[in-house]
Order: sequence, then C-alpha cells, then structure tokens
Amino acid sequence: MRRIAAPAARNLSKVARVMFTADGDEVAARAGASVAAALIAAGRPALGRSPRDGRPRGAFCLMGVCQQCVMRIDGVRRPACMVEARAGMVVESLA
Amino acid sequence: MTAPPTYDAVVVGGGVHGCTLALFLARGGMRVALIERGPLCREASGVNAGTLTMQMTRVALIPYALRAHRMWATAREWLGHDVGVVVCDGLSLAFTEREAEILSFRAGKRREAGAPIDLVSPARAKAIEPGLSDHPILAGFCPVDGYASAYLTGLAFRRALVEAGATLFENAEATGVEPCAGGYAVRVADGRAIAGARLALCGGVWLEPMCAWLGVRLPVKVLVNQLAVTERTPPVMRSVVGVASGLLSLKQFANGTTVIGGGWQAVGDRDRGGFALRPEALIGNLRLACHAIPALRGARLARAWAGLEAETADAMPAVGELPGLPEAYVCGGVHSGYTSGPYIARLLAERMLGGEPDLPLFPVERLLAPAPEAAGASPRVPAGADAPEGDPAR
Amino acid sequence: MTAAAPPLRAEAAVIGAGPAGATAAAVLARAGVSTVLIDEAAAPGGRVWRAPPDVLRARAGGPELAEGDALRARVAGAGAQLLAGAVVWSVTELGGRFRIDVMTDGGMTDHGPRVIEARLLLVATGALERVSPFPGWTTPGVIGLAAATILLKSQRMAPGRRLVVAGAGPLLAAVAAGALKAGAEVVAVADLNGAADWARAAPALAGRPALAARGAGWVAAMLRAGVRPGFRTGVRAAHGDMRLEAVELGPVDAEGAPVAGAPTRRVACDALAVGHGLAPATEITRLLRAAHVFDRARGGWLPETDDACRTSAPRLYAAGDGAGVLGAAAALAAGERAAAAMLADLGRGPAPRPAPGASRAARFGAAMGRLSRQRPAATAAIAPGTVVCRCEDVTRAEIDAAFDAGATDLNQLKHFTRCGMGPCQGRVCGDAAAELLALRLAGRGGVDAARRAVGQWTGRAPLRPVPLDALIGAFDYADIPVPDPAPL
Repeated sequence: MRRIAAPAARNLSKVARVMFTADGDEVAARAGASVAAALIAAGRPALGRSPRDGRPRGAFCLMGVCQQCVMRIDGVRRPACMVEARAGMVVESLA
Repeated sequence: MTAPPTYDAVVVGGGVHGCTLALFLARGGMRVALIERGPLCREASGVNAGTLTMQMTRVALIPYALRAHRMWATAREWLGHDVGVVVCDGLSLAFTEREAEILSFRAGKRREAGAPIDLVSPARAKAIEPGLSDHPILAGFCPVDGYASAYLTGLAFRRALVEAGATLFENAEATGVEPCAGGYAVRVADGRAIAGARLALCGGVWLEPMCAWLGVRLPVKVLVNQLAVTERTPPVMRSVVGVASGLLSLKQFANGTTVIGGGWQAVGDRDRGGFALRPEALIGNLRLACHAIPALRGARLARAWAGLEAETADAMPAVGELPGLPEAYVCGGVHSGYTSGPYIARLLAERMLGGEPDLPLFPVERLLAPAPEAAGASPRVPAGADAPEGDPAR
Repeated sequence: MTAAAPPLRAEAAVIGAGPAGATAAAVLARAGVSTVLIDEAAAPGGRVWRAPPDVLRARAGGPELAEGDALRARVAGAGAQLLAGAVVWSVTELGGRFRIDVMTDGGMTDHGPRVIEARLLLVATGALERVSPFPGWTTPGVIGLAAATILLKSQRMAPGRRLVVAGAGPLLAAVAAGALKAGAEVVAVADLNGAADWARAAPALAGRPALAARGAGWVAAMLRAGVRPGFRTGVRAAHGDMRLEAVELGPVDAEGAPVAGAPTRRVACDALAVGHGLAPATEITRLLRAAHVFDRARGGWLPETDDACRTSAPRLYAAGDGAGVLGAAAALAAGERAAAAMLADLGRGPAPRPAPGASRAARFGAAMGRLSRQRPAATAAIAPGTVVCRCEDVTRAEIDAAFDAGATDLNQLKHFTRCGMGPCQGRVCGDAAAELLALRLAGRGGVDAARRAVGQWTGRAPLRPVPLDALIGAFDYADIPVPDPAPL
C-alpha cells in the first residue's frame, strides 16, 4: 500500500487527520474534508472515467450537481464531494 | 374548395403508427403529409420502455406482434436507420403459487396463439438469466424477445420519411378536419389547411378528440405508464425480464442503463401528459425489479417519467376505415403498441394502397359510442369481451 | 415492509436554506405557521453563507461567516423545523398538497427516505454555475469558480498549487484572493470582461459600498501578490490527460468571442477555476410545470413570478437566485417578500405591499449578472470536437448534426444524442446545448427568441440520482402493492 503525501500537508498540522483508502492507497484527509477535497489535496484529481470515451474525470462542481466525482464509497455510489471523509472509509473509482 | 387535394394521404399523429403508415404510403407512391403537434415520436413512441416481448402482448395480437418483432429486428433493412434493437431471451417470472397459476394459463394461451413460450424451472431460468434472484418458482421463457431504444425512434423514422419524400409538418397542431371536395382538409393551429384524398388519424390517446372532429365518438382511455432508468452500471442482466401479471418490464441496455417499467400508473391526462409520478408506485415498481434482479440495488435511479398509452373499451386495436366516412381511417389503441405498431400500421398502409392485408385489420364499428347527443352511453361491446375464458387473473 | 419514518406535515415547506429560504422560513415560523425548512447541507446558509464543518470553524472567518451565523441564529430562534442533510429527489402536487420526498443522509449509515407534506411550498434553491465548454474542460483539475469557493470557504484549501482563474463576474477576484490567502500561487487571472465593462457596472457597485470595498480588497490582494487581471481574455484550451498541466489563454472581443489569429499564451498550472456566471436552479419549478421565462441578464430561464414571489402554479412560490440571479442581499429581501405573500395567502397576514422599485441590492445583483451573462458569440466559437455534455461525451459537432437531422428543441436533442440524459440530468450542459441549438435556429427574432423556442429540459424526478438500495429499503414481496394484472 502506497502512502500519498498530501501537498497541503502544512495545513494539516493544525487539525485532526483521518486516514482512508482510495483504490487501495492510504490517503490522509483533514477531518471535516469531503472525500473529493481530500483526494484533490492528496494530488489525485482524477476520480473516474467518462462512460462513452473512457476519458479521465475529476470533481468539477463540488456541490453534488455534476456527478463527475461519483465513486463507490463504502460500497455505495455517491458523489465524493458530498461525503465527508471518515477514518477507515473505503473509496473506489468506478470501473 | 375546387382544387383537388394536394396530398394523396394526410396522416395526423407522428408516433410509431403514424410514421410507419406515412412511410409505407410514401414508398407505395403516394404524396403523403404527416402532421404532428410536436416533434416526431416524442410522446408514447419515444418514451416507452422499448420492450419487444410476446409475454406482455395480448393473445389476439400475438400473430401481429411476432411479425412486428421481425420488423424491429430488421429495422436497419426496411427503416434504413438504427433504433438500437437487440433481440434476446425473455423471461416472465412467478414468485407465488397464484402467480405460477396465472403464468401457466397465460403462457399456454399465448403459445396457442403462436408465441414460442415454454415454462421452465427456476434453475433453467437462472441459467438463461444469471442475474436472477432465487425468488422465482416458475418462469415463462420465450426466445423471441428483445428491446429497442425508444428515444431513437423519432430520429430513425424522421430520416426514413424524409428519404421517402413524405412532407413533414412537425410542431404543427391539428385543430380540426373537414370533408372537402375529393377528400379531407386538416386545419392546423397556424390557420393552414392541409388537404388529402385520404385521411388517417393516428393520435394515440388523442384519437378520441381527433375522431370527434368528424362527429365520431370513439372512447379512448388514457393509461399513464410510469418508467424509470438507472444510471450506467456494469452488467446486471442480459435478458428481458417481466412477471406473470405483466406489471414489470426490465432490461439492461448496451450502454449499461437499466429501464424499469411495467405499466404502473403515474398521474397525467391528455391535456397535460404524464405530469407527475406517484412516489409509492415508483418505489413499488423498483422493489419488484430488485426482487427479480437483486444486483440492481447497487445502481442509482437516474430518471423517472410517464408516458400516455391509449386503451380502447375492449383493449383491442382500432384500425380501419371510419363508418360512413370513405377513405378516412384510424390506427391506434394497440395494446403494447410500440411492439406491434410497425406491423399493424403497415397492414393499414397496404389496405389504403388498395391491397389486401396479410392479416385482418381491427374494424372500429364495435368501439363507437352513440353520437354526442346520447353521450354517456357505453360502447356496444363490453370491455374484455374477447378475453380468453378461464384466466385465473380475472 | 420496513417502518418508514412517518410523513412530516406542515402548513409550509421551504426547499433551500440559503438567504431567501432561511429568511422566509424564519418569518413564517415566527408568525406561527408550521414550517419545514429543507436543505442538502448540514446547516442553513446556502452556498454563499455556507457553514464550515465544525472542525474547521475555528479557522474560518470573514463577513460571510458572520452573516451566515446571523441567519442560522434567526432560523433557530424562530422555531422552523429544519431538515438538514436532506436531498430532495421528488416533489409532487396532488389534492391540494405538496409531497416532498427526500433522502436523508446521516453520514452513510442511517440514510433513508423521508416524506414532507405541506400546503404551501417555497422553492429557494439558488443558482447553478454555468461553465462555457472549451477543449479540455473535462480534464481533472479543471473546476468551477463556485467549486473553488467551496474548497476555499468550507474546506479551507486551495484548489491547487498553481492556479489559473478564468471566466466572468465577481467570483474571479474572490477566488484569486482566496487562493492567494490559502497559500496557492495564482499564475493567471483571465477575465472575459474588459475595464470598460467593469466601468459600466460602477454606478451599481457604488450603491453597495461594503460589497464594492470587498471587491476592491480582493483586487488589491491580487495586485500585492503581483497578479494582474488579464482583461478580455478567455480560456482557449486546457491541456493534460490524467491531470491538468497547462491552460491556453487568448484575447476575446467585446462579445466574448476569441479573436481569430491572435497569439495565445500557454500557462503551466495544476488547477483551473473557471465559471461564466450563474443560472437559476429551476429543477423543482420545472418538475411542477410552473411557467418559466427566459431572461439572459438574470441568468437565463427562471420561473415566472409576480412581485410577491408567486409562481403560475397554485401555492407554489419561488425566491432568491432560483427565481432570477440577483445575489445574496437581494435574496434576503425576496425571502421576506415570499413569506409575506405566503402569510397573506394563508389568511394570516395583510396583502403584501407592492415591491418597491429595484433595490440597491437588486441593482448590484443585476450589474453582476450582466457581467457574467451567457455570451452567444462565445458559445458560437466552441470548436466542433469539444465535449459539451460531460456525462455522455456529446460534442458540439454531434449537437450540430442533431439540428441538421431535425432536432430543434432541447428535449428532441436529448433523444437524438443523449445530451443531458446522463446523471447530472443536463444541469451542467443545458445552457450551452440550448444556446448551440438556438444559434442554429435563430431567425430575425435573434438568439433569445430562439432560446425560447428551444425551451428547457422537461423536469424529471429524481432531482438527484438516488441509490436504489436506500430508496427501496428492506421489504416483503407480499407488501409490494402490485396493481391488477394487465388484460390477457
């Protein structure tokens, strides 16, 4: 399992962190962050692929509208921008 | 009006019946006008579930539906354009003893009418459809099944009609019809009159007000069928799945979306269309779907809507000439009309072109109510009069 | 069947707890009207005055937090019942009552369906961001300007380390200044508007000195950091595959169209925040078949309302940016007006006084709206291969081909191409797709008349995709209310 160092790590020092896994990699998130924000902060902006052309897609609206950041989060398809990252969460890109 | 009508035939209503009729009339050499209030095939013909199944077809329509299924399967050849048709296995499920009884009876009647339906065990059903739950106790299996992408119907027919030289009046609401010298003149909302030697009313649920233009009272009940579709998911099923009662139709398209229907009723009417869902009915329909195909639980519901289906007093089609009005025809009221529509409308085209159809039409006399001054009287034939006797569901 | 939570019954329901909705709910509840206030977020505030997560609260600050806290206190003190963390997926009206179906989200574990019934309904769902498509706008790392404000304000993080900010309207400076404060490098700011366009907005800005001062503060922060706004500049393309690597910027004319043949500039970056204005979120008023009008300056399609926020549908009201984008301050006043009308219509208050002439807040909002209006010339310049519908990868060329094949309205386009048929239900691409059709259809009446002919997407439930599992719950087969069998 790789550990992804968050580039905004200096910001993480002041608040609690939670660890979750994204496609098998351990990711550190600031407590209170959405899964999408945590993955952007961890330098992983690509969250899925478009269905027809298979092109990479990332979070876009961050308000639950565009559905581009839908991932399987603890087994349920949800927009990653609308789900708060929790310790031990299992996050997977959709096939 | 002394000039002869511009067109050999004017077809009012651009759904799958009107479009097919106009197409075959045009290919038969007629000058054809097709008048549609909105864009082509955007009401029932564009929003239905696209199911091409025998196991939801009325017994008396099986011979027509089998021929129509062949037409859909070969749409690229005769229509010239793709409607996304997939031919696959179909299953109709029974979850209870009573449903098994209904299924056995109904499959038997449909088999007698020519549909190749066999009753199979749950194990065999699961071999046919690995996505199936363990709940079915019996299944009807029919290899003649499949589906189209209904939303592509308008595009395909529009292209074919343009190529065949039909004149399209889209977004043109017909407001009345008057007999004129040598035919009928259809008035549209912008004041134009479009005249043809022959008239065909193909208005689906709007057939009743269309017939009233000519003083004919043909009662048409409006069904408001609810439908739902999931977002794209990995494969969860590979066949068309229904239930013994006919209250479920379920299939997954190549793009990964699964359409869930079955004729659960939403809220709507002729004037406003299918304008509101009933959330309990939607949830009930979805539960039934997941009871059959459990992997659907992992999908998200992307969209739900409702379309209007026409039903005549005896739930059998109205296809033929209007009594006392030579060369004025109706074509509609076909149960599961999307499945059988192309064949039935083609039959009427053959008749209007002067030929003898391969199968009989559905004369409308039986459905006509007394003229409006005696409004309120029932049609002459009671509902369900031709239904096979002994159906445990009745 | 599992025991579902019983319906919440109230005289009034308010969907959206931003400035308009929360204000109206507070006024209604204070007047003794049983009121349920529903919002997706965990607390009232809407997008502009959004409450930060508790753990980040200590690090938050600024006037918007104070204004949001005041609003939250007002709602809490008034006695309106707040249903937070609730995503509305269906609204129906039958027999004189609205039925609102929501999925409540208790952080993954206790999510489930809930029903609210009310006689009166106020829709205060705010606005959606409009982003005009360009090549590469689907690249991970490209986000909306409003998305950037969410990251900055409620997530307390910058969208990236090297950020380009582009588009139109006041959010440009707000995002640039916020990103600088959060420690990001802002490598370019590209504004479709020119200095002359901003000068025209000056009188309206002067009427709102506090907001104008904040804007000036953002610009000053940019200048201090050596970031100079590039006026009349637009994004030509975003480059990168799995992540954004560079943005190409180039000059635009007064109408927002790229200047042909002009040199472009390639800027290396890892994030692009881009937005071209706000559009009213009309999903619910469309679903309920209220009448809508097209008003480009107020964001495009919006529900037709009288000056007391009544829509054309009985007992249905709309207020705030969702009824025409005028900003948060104007939304507060609209919330008061809507509540007054609802009280009057319930027989519990005097007939609402006619709305005064456009307030300073409304004039300010209108000026910002003009700066960030959708520009037909910019849409016309979208390259054929550019993806317009992100959900279904439908390109501009496919939209043009559909027009040529006979699709002249937005819903027919959807049938012909699947544009807008994906999980966002056309919320992201709708304005661009409609404008592309309208540009082809436009006759003497111009593009706006064509937009009216092209229309809007038909409103459909669910308003957001709903997990089937959560929606249907556990059940017994015998309890499914299967209707009578179809005739044989």
